[in-house]
Amino acid sequence: MRALLIRLYPARWRARYGDEFAAILEERPLGPFDVADIVLGALDAQLRLRGRGATIRQGRGFTVSLRIGGFAASIGALIWTVFFLQISPGKPFQGGIAILAFAGLLALLVAVTGLSAYQARSHPRLVWTAFAMTAAGTVAMAIGAAADLTPVGAGGWNEALVVLGALAAVVGSALFGIATYLNSVPMRGAAALLVAVPAIGAAAFIVALVSVDLAYLFMFPTYICFLAGWGALGIQAIRLDRTTTSPGLA
Amino acid sequence: MEPKPPEFGKFAEPSLLILVSLSDGPKHGYAMMQDIERGTGRPMGAGTLYAALTRLEEQGLIEPLTPVDRRRPYRLTAVGASNLAEQLRGLSAFAQQGLRQLGESQP
Repeated sequence: MRALLIRLYPARWRARYGDEFAAILEERPLGPFDVADIVLGALDAQLRLRGRGATIRQGRGFTVSLRIGGFAASIGALIWTVFFLQISPGKPFQGGIAILAFAGLLALLVAVTGLSAYQARSHPRLVWTAFAMTAAGTVAMAIGAAADLTPVGAGGWNEALVVLGALAAVVGSALFGIATYLNSVPMRGAAALLVAVPAIGAAAFIVALVSVDLAYLFMFPTYICFLAGWGALGIQAIRLDRTTTSPGLA
Repeated sequence: MEPKPPEFGKFAEPSLLILVSLSDGPKHGYAMMQDIERGTGRPMGAGTLYAALTRLEEQGLIEPLTPVDRRRPYRLTAVGASNLAEQLRGLSAFAQQGLRQLGESQP
């Protein structure tokens, strides 16, 4: 993967910096944050060597950071709140619900990428699995959302994709929650909420085998944990970013 | 006419952090990343680091030294040190003004 990432840079850049850059990448495990940062760095190098660097220099380009991840997590939580308010048992997905779910999951994918800088160093496999689950869910949601816009979605199979995407989001979020919790970054409370989601969801499933009505009582805390977990993670990341913006190097 | 200060755009902050990191002696890329993270509490990705390093080298504010085991150290040039001092004085004056306005004047 490291060799592939270095290949994204222009040949002239690689000739000058490639060896030392490769040595840096070998120093520690790479997470989604690092990969996104390198891809954007390669894009910057490509544009600069093609004489288009001025556009990037003067613009406020996309920078992978805690702030971006924090905002994405908060926006994702908001979108999912609207999603949960729109759905009701037995009612088919209509009026762009799948598109809403896709937008929510895309925001969470950006959040996992932006917030994974610390976690990926100590638990790279866990973070990459969380990222892969969320990414797979996003693709399923994208197909479901695309079908929602066309007559082919009327068959209802797109709903199955949305449900699969949502399950992937729950598992991905829980894995990311575990990685965050284990990393001892000051987001453990929010991370614990995300870890609780599949546990409560599984309890709801077991209860549903006995009484469907009773299972709905479990669904509400599941939604709350998911939304509160991502919302709190987002707010804490933004606050953490704000408190550490002033350079303290001496 | 005063010389125009170098433009770093979105890499302005990483550039300043790199210059500060090099202010106590030459360092290779990974050591800079660790130093910056220790000082600011925020990670700096390798992509951001090298985007800023490239610009700083082009501007003549830092210079590469001979690599040791594929790790190439960089050091501040005289122009880089002077540019860093100017930036830090500007930041300090700005901070002092802000604190005065808040009524928390510093000794």
